[in-house]
Amino acid sequence: MDDTGDPRERNLTETDIAKKKDMILDDIIKFLVKELDISPTEINPDMSIEEDLTFDSLQIYELVVDLEEAYDIRLPDDMLDSVVTVGDFVDLVYTLTVEHEQ
Amino acid sequence: MTHEEQELGLLLSRVFENVVMTEEKSLQKGYFSDLSIAEMHTLDAIGPYEARTMSETAQSLGVTTGTLTVSIDRLVRKGYVIRKRDEHDRRIVRISLTRDGKVACRMHSKFHAVLARHILEPYAEDEKDMLIRMVSDIDEFLTAQLVRYDDEEDNEMSIRKTARDVAAQQRRREDNG
Repeated sequence: MDDTGDPRERNLTETDIAKKKDMILDDIIKFLVKELDISPTEINPDMSIEEDLTFDSLQIYELVVDLEEAYDIRLPDDMLDSVVTVGDFVDLVYTLTVEHEQ
Repeated sequence: MTHEEQELGLLLSRVFENVVMTEEKSLQKGYFSDLSIAEMHTLDAIGPYEARTMSETAQSLGVTTGTLTVSIDRLVRKGYVIRKRDEHDRRIVRISLTRDGKVACRMHSKFHAVLARHILEPYAEDEKDMLIRMVSDIDEFLTAQLVRYDDEEDNEMSIRKTARDVAAQQRRREDNG
């Protein structure tokens, strides 16, 4: 058997990850709704921040600064270069938050 | 003066002026047109994260704390800097950036990074390394020259001027002669 972990523990962790990512997504959506004056239902994680949401560099940095403050993390430019979609942002913030907590 | 010396001298002056002017124009036309280059560099010296003391910020900018105080007063009024007394030692003043200050600082860093990216783009990896090494040598040499002037009493260069002041001074010298 490859997987020896307790399935309940594994499920709990997966749920925690999903919860945390949902929380980050909610925060990003709140920012986008305020900034773009659109409905939350119009936003999905696959949307490109620059192309679909037409964010310029100022708006991106405002979001970055707010997320850094809210999650007590640092989002360096070299990492931001690989962020294209809303979902990419969620994943990056999640990864950095976990690293910070450890 | 050899042809090479003449060409390099001219190129150095032009690179310097063009960097300053490009920064100036990008600021004027950008979102932070109420900031001068010197003010933007002050935000940069404070940085977007931990609060810094006045003396360490003055030191990294190469100015006196008196000069920095004037500049910080202006930046506080414009809403880019927060000034707070240290909770444990009331004699220490700590400065940090507001949300707008942080955004301005991040955008300015990005401006420099994009400029550098475009300059390096046409070169192969070993050429990039060599270019960086050569420019570092130039920087090191010029920093040593500056220290020499700093040591001389009553010299108008005794306090490192902002890039803008030095460029203006250079232009005036050229115009005069």
